[in-house]
Amino acid sequence: MMGVSRILDINRQLWRIVGMALQALWAYKLRSLFVVAGVALGIASLTVIVAAVDGAERKANEIVRWFGPDAVLVFGGNMESRAVGQRSLTLSYADADALRRSLPAAYLVVPMRGKSNQSLRFENRVVQVPLVIGTAEGYAEAWNWPLVEGRDLSAEDLARGAKVGLIGDNTARELFGARSPVGHTVLINKVPVQIVGRLSYRGVVSGSGSIDDRIIIPITTLTQRFNLNRKYFRALRVKFHAPELMTEHIANLRSLLRHLHHLEPGELDDFTILSSEEILKFLSMFKGGLILFLGVTALVAMTVGGFVLANLFYLSINERRMEIGLKKALGARNWAILCQVLIEAVCLTLIGALLGMGLGMALGQLLARLGLLQILFSWKVFGMAVTAALTIGVLFGLKPARQAAALNPIEVLKSAG
Amino acid sequence: MNGSEPIIDLEQIDKTYLQGDLTIEVLKGIDLSVAPGEFIALQGASGSGKSTLMHILGLLDRPSSGRYLFQGQNVAQLADDRLSELRNRQFGFIFQSFYLVPYVTALENVMLPGLYSATPTRQLRQRAQQLLDQVGLADRMNFRPSQLSGGQQQRVAMARALINDPPLLLADEPTGQLDSTTSAGIMELLVEMHRQGRTVILVTHEAEVSAAAERIIVLHDGRIANP
Repeated sequence: MMGVSRILDINRQLWRIVGMALQALWAYKLRSLFVVAGVALGIASLTVIVAAVDGAERKANEIVRWFGPDAVLVFGGNMESRAVGQRSLTLSYADADALRRSLPAAYLVVPMRGKSNQSLRFENRVVQVPLVIGTAEGYAEAWNWPLVEGRDLSAEDLARGAKVGLIGDNTARELFGARSPVGHTVLINKVPVQIVGRLSYRGVVSGSGSIDDRIIIPITTLTQRFNLNRKYFRALRVKFHAPELMTEHIANLRSLLRHLHHLEPGELDDFTILSSEEILKFLSMFKGGLILFLGVTALVAMTVGGFVLANLFYLSINERRMEIGLKKALGARNWAILCQVLIEAVCLTLIGALLGMGLGMALGQLLARLGLLQILFSWKVFGMAVTAALTIGVLFGLKPARQAAALNPIEVLKSAG
Repeated sequence: MNGSEPIIDLEQIDKTYLQGDLTIEVLKGIDLSVAPGEFIALQGASGSGKSTLMHILGLLDRPSSGRYLFQGQNVAQLADDRLSELRNRQFGFIFQSFYLVPYVTALENVMLPGLYSATPTRQLRQRAQQLLDQVGLADRMNFRPSQLSGGQQQRVAMARALINDPPLLLADEPTGQLDSTTSAGIMELLVEMHRQGRTVILVTHEAEVSAAAERIIVLHDGRIANP
């Protein structure tokens, strides 16, 4: 029974101390304001970093899902060490044929060539598409990109150099509105192309615009009508069976291409193989950079906030020596004084955390709108902000609090009198 | 003096401070016994050691040597927290500079020592209101100290001293910052508190103020000058 009443007693004491702390916060508004502002800025940057990293991760997963774990994209030219004067048109149709014949695991080998910034016309509407892509049959399968209507390009389209095409969702919407584009003919730079299929909406935004702004025609049609090199193409999409053996598949692909290109040992590749693993590697590097850069910023900002708190509390404790000494003289125990100062500090940092989170999310919205980062709010952000705030409050509040608790009432009351 | 056990019993109390290499003896061999219900004035010039004695009596400071029995209990052996508790329950402090918390109301100032006790808040509030009424500040309960005159502030402080209903009041120059008319009112109040049965120890350097006391102890150079 003794223990229970003691706990109740301590509980009551704590609530009274919280009350006193809140009164002091209200009484010293300027101090409160500065501490809250200092902490809020730190928490805001923390919020942005956590949300941005989460957003980047989600985006990375989306890109990888869309790219496909069982596929690679081969570019002509070496992207890592772009030698001066190196050709970037190194992949030939002969290479593609050889791959089809010699790599049993590769069930889909699709060459690609693009022509950028073309104008597209239907009736009296004109839109600019960033990319007209020439490719082989099976585009939808090669890119795991289902059609919502119509059909994919066929082998026959390719053989004939047929003037048919697939249309991206955005482009379709812009040219046709609510109407179905399938069966209509659009003009790509005066070349009439009949739309045979429409790609589903994918919604990935990259540097050069939306991925849904595009039109896809047979690569034969593209080279003939747009007068491009007929022997080489720009990129090659390859899909493999048995994705668990991707490392081996990629090694085989690489050595075959090196053989086909007559590269001596020690010579650099004249092509680049991009796999989902490579993309993940790049994205995690990007994420790492983001964490490092924003993390250092957030850490610095929060440390500054902490020091602002510690400094203002030192000043404030000094200013309130009489009050603290008096309370001790009147029977406040050391822990009661310690608790009051700590509670004051933690209350302010928590308010700062909430404010900072709001600020961070607003900033995130702005960045998201500018297309710089994708920001996600999560309970993780909330949890981290609150934890960080508590840590700052206790860490930087502890020293002033202990100083306050250690005040000798007679020193204080003597000097004030 | 009645015949009961003394509330305070000091035996050969010394207090020395180190100041650089110098040892300063502030109190030398103080023997003092205070019976419950007494009204004592501790009188002395500044530097006589009366403030130090007052701090030791009020458990704010510890003697360098000697024995202090408070209600028969040797306080030298008590931990700081236990001393805090004793100050809270057994002592009412009244200071020369009032020492009110500037940013809370008169009522909240009166309640302050009670907040560190186990008394329920509602009861504290009621009692604080009664006490403010008794000291004549019923209409000033929600005023801040800065909105009160010096005399009114000291009345608030006196009401505060009584909130935990302590048996002992320690008043350190309670009228030191007040004009004579106001001082008279404060002294009247102190006498009234004594009449209610409390032991009062009043520290002062003014002989007229000591006149209210039943027993005057004169301190000179750290010793009790009158037997």
